[in-house]
Amino acid sequence: MMNLRLMLPEGEHKFREYIHNLKTNSLFQRPELNNEPFSKEFSASVSIDEKKQFNSKMELAEYLQNCFSAADLKREDVLPRNGLWTWLAYVWFDQLAPITNPATSERNLKEDAKYLCSSDYRNYYRHLVSGPYSIYSLNGADNSNIFLYSRVNEHNDFVEQFASRQFIISHKNIIEAIRRLYFDSQRGQPKRGAQSRTRQGNIRRFVSVIQQFELTYDIYTMPADIILNLLPPEFNDWKT
Amino acid sequence: MKRRFNYTDRKKIKRENVSINFIRQNDTIVAFAVNKLDLSDLNLPLDSRVYVEANYRTELKRFDFGSAGSINQLSPCDLRGMAYPENLKFRILVVDISDGKLLAHADKISPAGPTEKKPILPVEFSDLGNEIWKVEYEGDEGSPILRINSRIPNIQNISIQDAQFLLYVYPQVIREVLKHMVFVVGVDSITEPSADWHGDWIKFVRQLRVDFPDILNKNDENFSEVDALRWINDSVTAFCDSYSNKFEEYIDKLEETP
Repeated sequence: MMNLRLMLPEGEHKFREYIHNLKTNSLFQRPELNNEPFSKEFSASVSIDEKKQFNSKMELAEYLQNCFSAADLKREDVLPRNGLWTWLAYVWFDQLAPITNPATSERNLKEDAKYLCSSDYRNYYRHLVSGPYSIYSLNGADNSNIFLYSRVNEHNDFVEQFASRQFIISHKNIIEAIRRLYFDSQRGQPKRGAQSRTRQGNIRRFVSVIQQFELTYDIYTMPADIILNLLPPEFNDWKT
Repeated sequence: MKRRFNYTDRKKIKRENVSINFIRQNDTIVAFAVNKLDLSDLNLPLDSRVYVEANYRTELKRFDFGSAGSINQLSPCDLRGMAYPENLKFRILVVDISDGKLLAHADKISPAGPTEKKPILPVEFSDLGNEIWKVEYEGDEGSPILRINSRIPNIQNISIQDAQFLLYVYPQVIREVLKHMVFVVGVDSITEPSADWHGDWIKFVRQLRVDFPDILNKNDENFSEVDALRWINDSVTAFCDSYSNKFEEYIDKLEETP
């Protein structure tokens, strides 16, 4: 167990360098960044299990929520701290960028924004640790399932299409409507075809329709049932 | 021409009719106050509901301001518990209580700030590894920030005073920002863009006396990439021309060098 730390600029530089070097040399030595000037302690009252393995984004988000709640840290205390999320990605890097070829130690590496937490409006929701926590802490377990069902190293299309849009992700009733339309709770997975670009009423069409509603209706006060009823017939198949 | 769909005849609340201020305690934003909210020119039903929403990214908090006929300013409105108070923008909605439709609307309202002039391109110095500079879109509404590598000795002075640096870096920065604005994000209107920083950069280019194409909205069917690129190139050229003295200074320096 380790006390929660904040990555500092020098540490972020080293971490970025490490990620870039791994792309050409999969055996590149991981830098030790758990000390100053690379990182500093954020809170002695939050202990993080650096060896903990998560089966899904949901497990990761629940774990962090429990850690923060136990220390009486609220969402607004931790969410804006980019260094905290970058440090957590560093600590759990082996599962966020797992080795896909044991013979060569080659990893499944994604763009920097998945590991280095950024304030950039195009990327902030893509971070593999802060993204799940942000969604979970806002919507609770039931309505977060559709975003957090996948493995911790995967960035799914529900996050990309919905979490990137401020109007959608900030309205809990829209999130509930999305869950009821597209999530198969028995399988614990999205319904098949929801992410298709061609099927009627797919998630991209949902985004387009909600963007029209945004300037027509006062969505905030509408329960999910009413939002579902307002959707055009192309969404009917998803309501069952 | 930009086409605006407004089938419900939703009215626009003018910016000059709204004024919002943050309230701080120990330098931390804890609340906001609406100092002005004038809907009198919109001819709205008196019983329609008025709401003010504070929002940023995942954060959203709504405040009931009564009805169009009797606005109750519940100031100050508590913002504690919101994760990014410094970045909050405001949305004002007037809603028909009978069917939940929007009757009037204003979005992305910034609180009134200090009166000092805001730079259109804030500069920050940080460790960029082996890069000299880069533009990141991390400001308000994704506005650009120029990051310059702090590992370069004396870079803070060089970036302000050195003619070579100015001529080599800033034209490319301007080209990068304008290309991002037009081709990545998209400018929804030349006269009244929804993102404040687009308005600031359009104003900057106007001051360079560059001719604008009719359309800069990449989603408009009449958008011309050629015209947009021509506009960007003309803007960069006009910027360089406005610093012709720096160019001369740079040439003189080279000629003096043995």
